[in-house]
Amino acid sequence: MTINMTRRAFTMAGLSALATPALIRPAFASGGKVVAATFPGSWEDAYRSIVGPMVKDAGFDLTVAPSLAQDQIARLMASPGQPPYDALLVSPGQSDILIQEGLIEKIDPTRLKNWDKLSPAAQNEWGPYVTIEVNGIAYNPEVVDKPAGYKALFEDPQYEGNLALIGFGSNTATMAYTEINKAYGGTYDNMQPVFDLLEAYLPKIGAIATSGSNQMTMYQQGEIAVFMASTGNVAKLRELGMPCEFAHPETGSPSVPVAIHLVKGASNPEGVYAYMDAAIDAAAQTQLAEPPTAMIPTNVDVPYSEVVSQFVTPEQVANAVYPDWQAINKHRAEWTETFDRLVVR
Amino acid sequence: MIRKETLLSWPMIAFMVLFFISPLLLLAGISLRGEDGSWGLGNFAAFLSDPFARGVLTGTLALGAKVTFFVSLAALPLVMLYWHAGKLLRGLILICTLLPMLTANVVRTFAWVVLLGRNGPISQTLLGLGLTERPFSLLFSETGLIIALVQIELPLLLLPVFAVLNRADRKTLEAAEVLGAGRWRAWFSAIFPQIIPAVLAGWVLVFASATTSYVTQSVIGGARLIYLPQFVYREVGVLFQWPMAAAISILLLASTGVIMLGLTMLARHERLQGHA
Repeated sequence: MTINMTRRAFTMAGLSALATPALIRPAFASGGKVVAATFPGSWEDAYRSIVGPMVKDAGFDLTVAPSLAQDQIARLMASPGQPPYDALLVSPGQSDILIQEGLIEKIDPTRLKNWDKLSPAAQNEWGPYVTIEVNGIAYNPEVVDKPAGYKALFEDPQYEGNLALIGFGSNTATMAYTEINKAYGGTYDNMQPVFDLLEAYLPKIGAIATSGSNQMTMYQQGEIAVFMASTGNVAKLRELGMPCEFAHPETGSPSVPVAIHLVKGASNPEGVYAYMDAAIDAAAQTQLAEPPTAMIPTNVDVPYSEVVSQFVTPEQVANAVYPDWQAINKHRAEWTETFDRLVVR
Repeated sequence: MIRKETLLSWPMIAFMVLFFISPLLLLAGISLRGEDGSWGLGNFAAFLSDPFARGVLTGTLALGAKVTFFVSLAALPLVMLYWHAGKLLRGLILICTLLPMLTANVVRTFAWVVLLGRNGPISQTLLGLGLTERPFSLLFSETGLIIALVQIELPLLLLPVFAVLNRADRKTLEAAEVLGAGRWRAWFSAIFPQIIPAVLAGWVLVFASATTSYVTQSVIGGARLIYLPQFVYREVGVLFQWPMAAAISILLLASTGVIMLGLTMLARHERLQGHA
């Protein structure tokens, strides 16, 4: 069969074909789109599948943009005046920088119907805390014994060649290093004890990975058996069928709340409030407390799930170590440089 | 006056200016901004006067050179095989060369995590053969990184060479043999000069790709092997030092650019062109 077509008709047909996707659009909610940055991986999946539909019910479309906390700040700084996100998901270490740089704004709690359901500690004027991340030591019980604490990792020979570390770009690692430093007599203004310890331990190290997810990949491959982790990391590895346990350090578990922030100049503040409300809603937090996210709820109506209870009790969370992020941020760049220079071959 | 026959190229030129030249100029501009808001070459001076940073720069260029060398070694037997192969085998070699390129670099890199690990086939095979006493890992080592990069970058050298070999005239080989050259000498004097420009083009691609391969460098190399792409990421994503990151990016671009320019000029050299 031969199709006869003039050049003009061919051009029109081509342009029409190109324009078709613009005409066929999915039905958007009337309130418009909200772009929310979340951590990649299980956070991203859970927020998309659990929080997304609730935001939709409130009349907004939630676009989940996976990005690490530090990357969220970098991207905001890269486009001042035209923020790529409406809402951020970060820990106090990053919140402090965001406040200093004027990149986020205080919220109006009266616009959140679930505000009063939050525990008082989670009612943050810069945005509600959606969970508390409890950090400690993840270990493979088939390879090593339960570590008594941070010191044991560096002093007990069974951990030699099995321990992985990462740099100060990671919140989990930074908190661990400050706690280890304290255990060896250091302070925020004097991190030399931990750097001396790391320098001496380097020949016995299992691996120095580039990120937390890189560490988890190494753990799955049997390259390492111990690393600094959050309870969420351990829950995720268990979900993947890996033998993995969580140990609380002897100095207490360094913990960080995770907050949702409203970006200054956000294109859809109404949508951000709807998103915040959904994330702190009892229905959402009940589901988020289950694996693979196993998040510690901040809504007082939500009990700790069975999995969360295996890792921590409400008492442990209350007595956890909450690092001084202002002090950390003051030195973080310098520590990052020192660490990199120390570990590079 | 704009010549009529160049009109069709103007949209592409406009596109390049808008989306390549302009961002590049912007990057160069940012690299000149100091921490205190002043303008100058301070970021470049700070980077180049730091022995650690200089080590990262030379280490990155050395990685590119090592990968290019080993890719060339790995490519040589395949090129010889391709030249002597019939139509069917040539098609098979071409498919095997192209097949890895159909998967993303990230996927290929994570496949190498499995292969290079202490429970991977390399370690277990050598253990099974009794060549090593205990399982070993090639992850987080330069050896492992080079092995992975050689496999990942190999098609970039092979494809231009195969393209030239497809067009190469077998009669020149026969002529060399008739004139008394042995098989190896005939190949190296009649065919090899024809593929030199393609080899140089392949080297440019392999070198540029190996030095800028952030994912493979960070996943296979780990944090103990820092190359310039990770250094740039650290400046942006951890330290938020955009001007310094821009300066390092310009230095990476300039240093790889100089080497690429040198190879390109070599490929266009009169004597080499004469053989093609």
